[in-house]
Amino acid sequence: MGQERNKSEYGVRQNAGAVFWKELVKGLVISNPVFILTLGLCPVLAVTSSIDNALGMGAGVIFVLLCSNIIISAIRKAIPALVRIPVFIVIIATFVTILSLVFEAYLPPLHESLGIYLSLIVVNCIILGRAEVFASKNNVLYSIADALGIGLGFTIALIMISLFREVLGTGGLTVFGSNLFNIPVLSEHPMTFFISPPGAFLVIGLLMALFRWIGVIKGD
Amino acid sequence: MLERLKSKSLYPIVFLTVVVLISVSLLLYINSFTSSVVEAQNRIKIKTVLESIFPDLTEFKEEEDLFIIYQGDDIIGYTFLASGNGYSGVIDMLVGINIDYTIKDVAILSQTETPGLGSRITEKAFTNQFMGLGVDDINLSKDGGSIDAITGATISSRAVTDTIRTSMAEIIEKLSER
Repeated sequence: MGQERNKSEYGVRQNAGAVFWKELVKGLVISNPVFILTLGLCPVLAVTSSIDNALGMGAGVIFVLLCSNIIISAIRKAIPALVRIPVFIVIIATFVTILSLVFEAYLPPLHESLGIYLSLIVVNCIILGRAEVFASKNNVLYSIADALGIGLGFTIALIMISLFREVLGTGGLTVFGSNLFNIPVLSEHPMTFFISPPGAFLVIGLLMALFRWIGVIKGD
Repeated sequence: MLERLKSKSLYPIVFLTVVVLISVSLLLYINSFTSSVVEAQNRIKIKTVLESIFPDLTEFKEEEDLFIIYQGDDIIGYTFLASGNGYSGVIDMLVGINIDYTIKDVAILSQTETPGLGSRITEKAFTNQFMGLGVDDINLSKDGGSIDAITGATISSRAVTDTIRTSMAEIIEKLSER
């Protein structure tokens, strides 16, 4: 009888680990927030014109998503259904404000270049969406996995888009002040189309097609 | 027990209030130690801009809306903040004047004008035109003065010019009364 109890305990623990991993990985490709769920596209357009901004925004969203998912999941049983959206928004806005205050004090150039899009993370559909759809209905451990997966998926999407836009649009790549490379002919006559919003739409559309094609191949 | 508590009609109000109170306290705490860092940064930023207008400055004193620029013990000029409505938003600038009330230099601090057109008010080619002018000469050439507007950005150029002129007149009046 002791052995059987051990078996089921072991089974439960292994199951939790596998579920954690599954929740995390789903946010990367199958449920990529930008390319598959198509959430929060406005800041994506604005922020991917340079890879510095993309990395800063990605880190910020991961932080807010993680914190808000944890808190909302922890108190999910106490939240009255009537005021759940205001509660989510207050919690998310608090973390975004903390992020903004910290960036303003310790990373001023990033704060300036992200500008209003830093504060707009509050209404980023991804964060509110995950709170409503996942964190309010699952335990803290899985909510952490979901936040990490979706956040990383968002950041990967931002990095991919900004790589195209910055390299084609300026002819080179500059990360946090250090110039990585400059493509010879392109840097004198860059395709500035890609820095403009229509160029962003084009890159996002093509990458979206790529991601859905991957999804089809995988048999989802 | 939670279900009984949740069924009370006052529960949503109390819950939301508690959440907000905790959030605000957390933010006040974080703000308490970041605000001093931000203030120190702003002071350095102002100092850098003042030094770009008056390269010879050794120290400056802030008085109400004016910066008094010293070189050693002598006052070599004054600098004041001027804000005006541009084509699309507020334009903030720092204007430095010599003790004879002619312009030393103009620095645009922040603007949200059209990129490539109105945003060119930040270029030296435009702001250098103000150097040495007295308050009566500060007008666009279209309006009878000596400032050439930026092609395709008349409104932005006029906004900067008019803001500098009116603010400068106010400051000169205040200085004369001291």
